[in-house]
Amino acid sequence: MSKQTGFYQRFPLARRIEHLAMLLSFTTLGLTGLPQKFPSAGLSVAVVNLIGGIENLRSIHHVAAIILMLGTIWHLMVFGYLAYVRRTRLSMLPSLQDVKDGWQALMYNLGIAKSFPQMGRYTFEEKMEYWAFVWGTLVMVITGFMMWNPLSTVKFLPGEVIPAAKAAHGGEAVLAVLAIIIWHMYGVHIKSSNKSMFTGKMSEQDMLHEHPLELADIKAGIAERPVDAVVLRKRQRIYLPIAGVVAILMLGGLYGFVNAEKTALTTVDRQQPTVQVFVPQTFTPAPTQTPTLPPTETPLPASQQPGTGSTPVASSLTWDNAIGAIFQNKCGSCHGSSATAGLNLSTYVDAMKGGNSGAVILAGDSDESLLVIKQLAGGHPGQLLSEEILQIIEWINAGALEK
Amino acid sequence: MNKWIKRNTLPVGLVCVSLGIFLLLLVISLPSTPVSAAPLAQGEKLTNDDCLACHQNEGMTAQIGGQSLSLTINHEDFSASVHGEENVACVDCHSNITSFPHPVVNAGSPRDFSIKMYPTCQKCHAEQYQKVLDSVHQKAIASGNENAAVCTDCHNPHTQTRLTDKNTGKLLPEARLSIPDKCARCHSTIYDAYKGSVHGTALTQGNADVPTCIDCHGVHNIQSPTTNSFRNSTPFLCSKCHTDQSIMGKYGISTNVLNTYVSDFHGTTVKMFEETYPDQPTNKPVCTDCHGIHDILKVDDPNAGIAFKKNLLTKCQQCHPNATTQTFTDAWLSHYEPSPKVFPLVYYVNLFYKFFIPTVLGGMLFYVLTDIYRRFIVPRLGGKGGSHK
Repeated sequence: MSKQTGFYQRFPLARRIEHLAMLLSFTTLGLTGLPQKFPSAGLSVAVVNLIGGIENLRSIHHVAAIILMLGTIWHLMVFGYLAYVRRTRLSMLPSLQDVKDGWQALMYNLGIAKSFPQMGRYTFEEKMEYWAFVWGTLVMVITGFMMWNPLSTVKFLPGEVIPAAKAAHGGEAVLAVLAIIIWHMYGVHIKSSNKSMFTGKMSEQDMLHEHPLELADIKAGIAERPVDAVVLRKRQRIYLPIAGVVAILMLGGLYGFVNAEKTALTTVDRQQPTVQVFVPQTFTPAPTQTPTLPPTETPLPASQQPGTGSTPVASSLTWDNAIGAIFQNKCGSCHGSSATAGLNLSTYVDAMKGGNSGAVILAGDSDESLLVIKQLAGGHPGQLLSEEILQIIEWINAGALEK
Repeated sequence: MNKWIKRNTLPVGLVCVSLGIFLLLLVISLPSTPVSAAPLAQGEKLTNDDCLACHQNEGMTAQIGGQSLSLTINHEDFSASVHGEENVACVDCHSNITSFPHPVVNAGSPRDFSIKMYPTCQKCHAEQYQKVLDSVHQKAIASGNENAAVCTDCHNPHTQTRLTDKNTGKLLPEARLSIPDKCARCHSTIYDAYKGSVHGTALTQGNADVPTCIDCHGVHNIQSPTTNSFRNSTPFLCSKCHTDQSIMGKYGISTNVLNTYVSDFHGTTVKMFEETYPDQPTNKPVCTDCHGIHDILKVDDPNAGIAFKKNLLTKCQQCHPNATTQTFTDAWLSHYEPSPKVFPLVYYVNLFYKFFIPTVLGGMLFYVLTDIYRRFIVPRLGGKGGSHK
């Protein structure tokens, strides 16, 4: 590590960029994921509306997930390089010492231990943070894959793992977000303002407080293990091609992850059920008699055909024995003594006299009798039944006798 | 002799008496009207008896545009109707009729006559009429579709009996049972589907708990059920009854169906989608996509019940055509709450996080609090702290 006026470089630029990418993708994932876990919360609705709907929210969530996975692939490649080519100390690996450090720190905070533990490049707090992130990412990527590709998943696993994956994804999300807020926020923003992840540098003073063992190693010149240039070149020649292939495979896997299944995500045009809306029931016709037989269709017996001649046709029907009663029952309301339109059908004499339009019954000629014409046309208030009309026609043609 | 009189004079007597009463009424009401077709005197209103004198005759018809329209009014039916009960006069609706002969009917067909006639209902039923103006039927009428229902198609004004309680305004149970018959007049195939459904079967057996047409479609202001808004709101429509323990309890049906739907991927989406874009289409399923619309069956129906995976899979395939294995159906929890018996994996994952989250966070919080104590509080109390030295 190069020492520059009391500052030590802690994180190279690439690592800081990596952190920034993870920071942004993680935050985005949390902001777009939690509303999906708690759809009924008012805040969730507000977030969804702000982003322009649930589908947008999901798209953003997916993009952020892709960035996080790309970052993870990059991280693994860098790890491989450092571990194999540079052979740096695997200072992030957890050890028993971390447990001891954690315990001592706790005891110190409680006033039981006399001193705070002296720690190296990564404190137990930072290691916990890192490995929690590794665990979380692993869970999220696996369960995320299952939800993103349910059809592929159930080829190998029972269907139940899809909702189980969703449960784990949501549970882990709550855990991760809250852990970041409690642990990370406190550790690097509240406890002390540690900006080294953004500036890349840490002051000697801070190094002494936070990472005294690393500072000692740096000062002793044993923090880094220099690698012979030839050996370095040789290892690079081995590592880089392998890493390239592995990276391509992983990127291919990521591509598959994202694109393998489209049907679950893209719109399958919903086939709206098409129903014939207007299908009226077929009614049995209302029980109306057929008083409105068109004149031409009146099925009269030949002997009673109207207008077959002026010769009276013999008939037993008379005003007294039938016709008068029909008029009284059916026509009397209007053409009784009230004589609507001047026509009074209550007595034989008045009936034969007719109304305002003149005679309505022409003895022997039902064809020309207004009463018959009106009734056959139909629609007259007090419409007679067809058999009644037939009787009246028969009666008129027979001479419209009173007795 | 007495016998003879009785047998022969009774009907005539009856006619004479009723005729006499009628004539008396007519004489009283028209004291100075000459025997002619002159209109009634101003302010004189025709009574229902005046009208029925002719219009109760069987078989009265009129020809409108070459089609026959029955003019017969059954006196008993009308008296039993709500209009009869409330003494509504014929001429309250047929207000242009003041005498005989009646004014010429200015309509192209009996249907046209009905359509011209129904606005008169608003004189008494303004609220319902206003709602109708907003309905899909009214829009169809306005666009020239004469088949669309107007007031009188559902409520025959001459025979409609009381539908709602006079005091509470609530739909009477017996009226409820008859509603689908009304709609069926025009929507017969839909009615046939409904009739065979779990709801329709129960209704025809006299069960008033089940929804009739109007419970989902509304009444009077019926909206198009094919809009996105209607589809998106379906879960909330069905859940009106299906989250009501007082109804569902009787049949042992879960009231948790909405919660379980909304907490699933599909339901979450529809719920959140509906919040933002109630009128946009979503491709996620709503209740009716799996359960059917008018032909809803019991989920354990032996032939098509979706409690059976093979039947459920066909529903999944509507949107996931590549889903070919029945195990896929387990990706949906079928409205179950996971338990050690049903969907145990989901249950135990939830259980794990139920303990894991508080444990981890509690541990973190405890350490952080001790650190705050040592770092920020102890120094203020004058103790040793702050620095790790």
